[in-house]
Amino acid sequence: MEKPNLFYSKYHQTVCDSMDMLAKEDKVIFVGQQVAFQDFYGTLKNVPISKRLEMPVAEELQMGFCIGLSLEGFLPVCIYQRMDFMYRAMDSLCNHLNLLPKYSRGFYRPKVIIRTTIGNKSPLDPGIQHTQDLTEVFKKALDFPVYKVSDVDSVLGIYKEALIIDSPILIIEEQRLYV
Amino acid sequence: MDKKELIDFSNEIIKLYEQGKIKAPIHLSDGTEDKLIKIFQQLYNPGDWIFSTWRSHFHWLLSGRRIEELKLQILEGHSMHIFDKKFFTSSIVAGISPIALGVAHALKQKESKFKVLCFLGDMAASIGLSMECFKYASGHNLPIVYIIENNGLSVTTPTEEVWGDKQTDNIHEYYYERVYNHAGIGENGKTKFVLF
Repeated sequence: MEKPNLFYSKYHQTVCDSMDMLAKEDKVIFVGQQVAFQDFYGTLKNVPISKRLEMPVAEELQMGFCIGLSLEGFLPVCIYQRMDFMYRAMDSLCNHLNLLPKYSRGFYRPKVIIRTTIGNKSPLDPGIQHTQDLTEVFKKALDFPVYKVSDVDSVLGIYKEALIIDSPILIIEEQRLYV
Repeated sequence: MDKKELIDFSNEIIKLYEQGKIKAPIHLSDGTEDKLIKIFQQLYNPGDWIFSTWRSHFHWLLSGRRIEELKLQILEGHSMHIFDKKFFTSSIVAGISPIALGVAHALKQKESKFKVLCFLGDMAASIGLSMECFKYASGHNLPIVYIIENNGLSVTTPTEEVWGDKQTDNIHEYYYERVYNHAGIGENGKTKFVLF
């Protein structure tokens, strides 16, 4: 029997529950780094490995790849370990995922759930390249919903919304709340 | 569609453009007819995905799609963004490379009989994003063919010249085995708690 891990918070447990909920959907696939070879800070520990696709460190490729998965009927959860790294995905994110409904005149409306985190500064501070809160940058850049999840009560609701809305969504978790 | 029909179509578009009836840029595909006809005969089957660029007219026509629909999209000013079911374009250099890759992965996952043809210019094919996609597609044996349409130019920039043509060896690689965790200490791979 697995021992309960007292290290993690209720916020973290709710993120886990949200991932379990998403994983019940046949079309959902989790894509990113530390997703299959690890369990993304423990949050994917209950998600079957068959639904987890480890990617190279190729952020722009990964975002475009998820758009492609969506075009063929999958619902990718595109995971970036820290939102600092999302700057490297900007063309696929802004010029494609964000603009496709416009520039294809509604022909293609890919849906991707983007999941990322704001890095923690405590007890160890990995520095500014790993801890930026870029929420406002992405809110300005993107036409679809961008949510920073800062309290335990809103986690599950936002991931439920991610399942039903007909657009992409960017959900930003805070690592400081994991513990 | 044969070579003459392709050229006739381009000539008709030129005429419409010169008459001011197309209020957006057009990119014609002159000189590619013979090679594209052969490529489509050899590689394309109805139901396959096509990913193309701002220069997509011949790809549309050779895939058997309706000429009138193409003409309509061009007249509406969408020559750079032609769309159809399983016909996808982007006007960002190499922007289609990873999207096509994702479609190919999905097709493989679904054990589909279809595949992806992804058309790239020579500069698009030479940049990092496309290189990553080629490596991933090959490494995972995905049902995708990247077709490079090489005229030696990126708009007016000579592709080979700007990348340089020397073959010097600037990379030195060495191998090692990790002793500690990625961050912090602890026996590699056996730590109980993730350091945030």
